[in-house]
Amino acid sequence: MTRLAGSISMLAVMTVLGMGSALADTADKKIALSNNYAGNSWRQAMLRSWDKVTKPAVTAGIVAAADPFTTAENQVTEQAAQIQNLVLQGYNAIVLNAASPDALNGAVKEACDAGVIVVSFDGIVTEPCAWRIAVDFKQMGKDEVLYLKDKLPKGGNILEIRGLAGVFVDDAISKGIHEAVAENPQFKIVGSVHGDWDQAKAQAAVAGILPSLPNDIVGVVTQGGDGYGAAQAFKAAGRTTPIIIMGNRQDELAWWKEQKDANGYETMSASIAPGVSTLAFWVAQQILDGKDVPKDLTVPFLRVDQATLDKSLETTEKGGVANVEYSAEDAQKVVDAAKK
Amino acid sequence: MNAEPGFIRRLVAKPWLWAYVAAAAVWLVTILFTGGRGGGEVLTAAFTFATFSVIVGIGQLYVVTLGPGNVDLSIPATITLAGAVATKVMDTQDGLILVGLIVALACGVAVGCFNYALIIILRIPPIIATLSSSFLIQSTAIAYGRGIRIKPPAALADFTTAQVLGMPVLALCVIALAAVMEIVLRRTVYGRWVTAIGQNMRAARLAGVNVGRTRFTAYVMSAVFAGLCGYLLSGFSGGSSLSMGEEYLLTSIALVVIGGSSVAGGYSNVPGLWGAALFLFLVVTMLNTYGFGAGLRYLSTGLIIIAVIVAASARKATR
Repeated sequence: MTRLAGSISMLAVMTVLGMGSALADTADKKIALSNNYAGNSWRQAMLRSWDKVTKPAVTAGIVAAADPFTTAENQVTEQAAQIQNLVLQGYNAIVLNAASPDALNGAVKEACDAGVIVVSFDGIVTEPCAWRIAVDFKQMGKDEVLYLKDKLPKGGNILEIRGLAGVFVDDAISKGIHEAVAENPQFKIVGSVHGDWDQAKAQAAVAGILPSLPNDIVGVVTQGGDGYGAAQAFKAAGRTTPIIIMGNRQDELAWWKEQKDANGYETMSASIAPGVSTLAFWVAQQILDGKDVPKDLTVPFLRVDQATLDKSLETTEKGGVANVEYSAEDAQKVVDAAKK
Repeated sequence: MNAEPGFIRRLVAKPWLWAYVAAAAVWLVTILFTGGRGGGEVLTAAFTFATFSVIVGIGQLYVVTLGPGNVDLSIPATITLAGAVATKVMDTQDGLILVGLIVALACGVAVGCFNYALIIILRIPPIIATLSSSFLIQSTAIAYGRGIRIKPPAALADFTTAQVLGMPVLALCVIALAAVMEIVLRRTVYGRWVTAIGQNMRAARLAGVNVGRTRFTAYVMSAVFAGLCGYLLSGFSGGSSLSMGEEYLLTSIALVVIGGSSVAGGYSNVPGLWGAALFLFLVVTMLNTYGFGAGLRYLSTGLIIIAVIVAASARKATR
């Protein structure tokens, strides 16, 4: 059944390709976004960015369609079925934020075999036929410690807030942090909790472990979405606020600004911009256009520093995440960088 | 709670005792690590966060007491919706605190009525009905709030984080609330009806219990408590978020079970909820304090919970 459907859509794709090749154009190509989760502010911003960039692209006739689809339950089986449906519906490319790096490989392979371009981003897939737009999460973890080293040359005790256990992003960031700490032995990780990238959970976890930690915590390394909760927990415990690395959420940036204005508080903030979905869109468009694009691309993370805080906060909507939307030229730059 | 003679013997026979014993043991092990330092602060934190789970736990307990198959899975979504709507309505103004509370509770009433309508009019089993309504509610919350975190009014934030001698004020209020709900369950006609339905719905109906109205009230109450929790939680954690209710689904059910109530309904107690809530928070704190990895932590949490439930039910059997 699937094979039959596959060959039919293969035929369809070949016909389309045959007609389109003379024009080297993507005006008749359909791109779909397959998204596994929408239940937090980051994902909401990601979907909004997608709309903001792809709707004008469709109106301008660059592509025929760019429809977002989100699964309800954040489950691998559900997303695999969704990918199969998208293939059957005749999309030429699927931009994918995957629920799992490897469990969707079967569905992704089927899509590739049916001639559909699959571009994964943020939650990437390991299937070789797909493109990957990844963030160097390990480097992000390292950068946090390097920032602390810059600010606190003497070192000290730090608390680590991790993300959702079992997700590779959590492992990657944490690995970067631990490697950097090993290289800088003046720092010591005295406690580690899982905040699940969620302010409320981070707050509860930090409030629980704080009493058992020494009083001189100088820094908190985080993964994003948990900094504000950590700050609340330190405040509730009546402790001095250490340098808490933030994760670009608007509430985190607003809190940082408040502290900065009140007492000159300094920190940094980094995260992957939700607009990376639009970068993936342009990459998919370029692949459809017949451009030669390497399979592994790296997107720089979006970093906010003391100097850029005010501007970033202004452009970040309430409840959102500091964001940038990417243009076709940005995508071209990322592709060129990967070719070198 | 019982100042009558034979107090100790009565206490030992209580099914909720084990949750408290476990909580105390876990607390002791935790402060053993720090050599006694920070013991009070750990308890303060435990009471702070247990408060919110107890609020939804009470509602869940009444629903579960109704008998096999009765459970409210829409609690997390209701928390999120009520939090989002309330913070938006209050718009950081102290003067609108009461309005926000009323709106949050109204969200609960609406959800409860909707849940029960699905159950009774469309004859959908409660698990499926509340699960599907939770999708609708969560989607409403997403569409309505768009994940925007609006700060709570300062007065509400102050109230939800206030402490008296290291004891959160909110926890004291919820202890009082739990006491009232225990009396309602044990001493009022309504509470006896809930229990009677859970033990045997047919017998209860023949005995003249208004089954429909009793069940309806329990579902609405559960949703209203979830709404209250969403309201207070958004005040406590500096605004509402789309994932704020997530952890309260399993927690609310776990509290009922660990607290010594029967998951099959008919035999419930409210005091156990507090013991179980403190226990659950302290277990995570203990494992964090000892620095176990995530895998080992989940494993031990599971094992400890099984141990407590087994101990509690063994107690009942030998009674």
